[in-house]
Amino acid sequence: MPPREGTYGLLAEFDNPSDLVRAARQAREDGWRRMDCYTPYPVEEAAEAIGFHRNKVPLVTLVGGLMGLTAMFALETWVSVLAYPLNIGGRPTYSWPAFIVPAYEWTILWAGLSACFGMLALNGLPALYHPLFNAPNFRDGATTDKFFLCLEALDPKFDLLEGRAYLESFQPTSVVEVEY
Amino acid sequence: MAHESHAATHAKTLPADLGAPAFVDGWTKRALTVGAIFSVVAVILALLGQSQDQLGWDHLLRAWVLGLMLTFGWSVGGLALLMVQYCTGGKWGLLFRRPLEAMSRSLPLVFVYWLVVVIAMKKLYLWAQYTSVSDTAAALQAGLINEVQQHCLDFKRPMLNPVTFTWVGLLCFAIWAFYVWRLNSLALQREADKAGNTPYWIKKLENISGPGIVVYSLTMTAAVIYWVMSMDPTWYSSVYGLLFLVGQGYSVLAFCIIVSISLSKAEPFKTILRQTEQHDMGKLTFAFVMLNIYLAFAQFLIIWSGNLPEEIPWYLDRIRGHWGIIITLDFIFHWLIPFSMLLSRDIKRNKRRLVRVCQWMIFAKAFDLFWLIEPNFKDAARNLHFSWGILEYVAVPVAMVSFWVAFFCTRLKTRPLVQVNDPHLAEILEPEHAQA
Repeated sequence: MPPREGTYGLLAEFDNPSDLVRAARQAREDGWRRMDCYTPYPVEEAAEAIGFHRNKVPLVTLVGGLMGLTAMFALETWVSVLAYPLNIGGRPTYSWPAFIVPAYEWTILWAGLSACFGMLALNGLPALYHPLFNAPNFRDGATTDKFFLCLEALDPKFDLLEGRAYLESFQPTSVVEVEY
Repeated sequence: MAHESHAATHAKTLPADLGAPAFVDGWTKRALTVGAIFSVVAVILALLGQSQDQLGWDHLLRAWVLGLMLTFGWSVGGLALLMVQYCTGGKWGLLFRRPLEAMSRSLPLVFVYWLVVVIAMKKLYLWAQYTSVSDTAAALQAGLINEVQQHCLDFKRPMLNPVTFTWVGLLCFAIWAFYVWRLNSLALQREADKAGNTPYWIKKLENISGPGIVVYSLTMTAAVIYWVMSMDPTWYSSVYGLLFLVGQGYSVLAFCIIVSISLSKAEPFKTILRQTEQHDMGKLTFAFVMLNIYLAFAQFLIIWSGNLPEEIPWYLDRIRGHWGIIITLDFIFHWLIPFSMLLSRDIKRNKRRLVRVCQWMIFAKAFDLFWLIEPNFKDAARNLHFSWGILEYVAVPVAMVSFWVAFFCTRLKTRPLVQVNDPHLAEILEPEHAQA
């Protein structure tokens, strides 16, 4: 794929989360779909405002946890019943209460790892490059105290001039054009 | 400052009337009606049971202990969670503090419930029936108890006898009553004081609550050992108090969530109950669901691994003779269902569904107590069978819990539902996206 060129989108900067949420909600209502919010800390209402209701991390975590549970329980059963049956205090070889603890630990371990790496993968990370970092105010503010709304050029409604005027109607601190 | 002015314009304001909404009176009436109906049912069942197997009144008393443990869990467990809240702080205190205070002030009713156990202890506890060495020897001769029981009854008599039982109980109730009185009256003084003095009050309540949690853990351990564990004088478990402690957290949180969500149909909780805090409480409840099974299974695993004749019969009494069905259902009801439900973020954030889960948890707690209590008795150990008396485990706890709920509602009415002298009040009135 040839390198992308041209405009990535228009980036509006806000001073507080309330204004960002209001702008994002309005933009979604006006038919914008390719857009994203960037905040220094998780703002759940911003995610809801742009129509982002659920992600797949819980599912990945659940599947990971169940895999860990099954794998360890099966391993223990195989070792104790088939591969190396031992008589421990006259107990049956299939002594499930004793298998629970390692199986539980593996459930936690695998659920945790799946949540962590699943989240990174679903976020598209690690990413070596993102066009938004071309905007100086984004570099300085996105992780400290500024709230951003980006209307992306991929949206069919996108037009450089109209989009800028549209964003300015929300009275942001600034609107800048971001290049790829 | 643009931010502050914006926050100010978006913030909600508290209604003028902070009292409990009028429909709480309706709850009282409904609870009293249900309580009255089920009391009649309980008496009828006792008479039926008496004519069937001579155990009707015995079953009524056993079920009474179940009702006592449930309401005791809410009352004293509520006191404990109140103290925990004073130590941890946090916005959820605004939602739970007044319901928890009202729960703790229901202690007199729990005391009355306990007095019934004191009066009827001969029917419930072997150690109350056989109070001397000659008594146990005669009972052994008559085949009423076995040798292990005889030995344990004689050995444990300094602790397990009617006088100690009564005095330990009275002492525990006195200590709980002291903390209830202290925390409840100081909360009112804090409200009456100037807003500037709030940091002093926060520190003061924290200093009372910290040691109070330790005292609570010790006294409630003593109480559950006497009231429930000693029904089987041969058995002991060092995690028993902790199991009930976590169980109280489980049922107190479930009850508090039901109360605050039900109150949010009207002011003032309509204004202050936000989804964020509701979600947080769902997560805290989830933690208790986990801890509960963790301890219950740890106890089982250790006793199963040890496989000692002193310990294992307690589990065998509760597994063999069809009790295996009950313990399996207990596992499903008490852990699997609440755990799976509370995993879901959507359920924790949905008022109606979260209330359903919490109601289920309270039922499951009662079911678990049934499994703990009934197999202590000779007629039921390793022998789960239907009798009219078994139905007492539904009728009596429902009646006792209903009367307790009615009493709780009257306590709830006596104070404004929202504390105004609280630094978190401004935060909880802000829109949910306003803070990190």
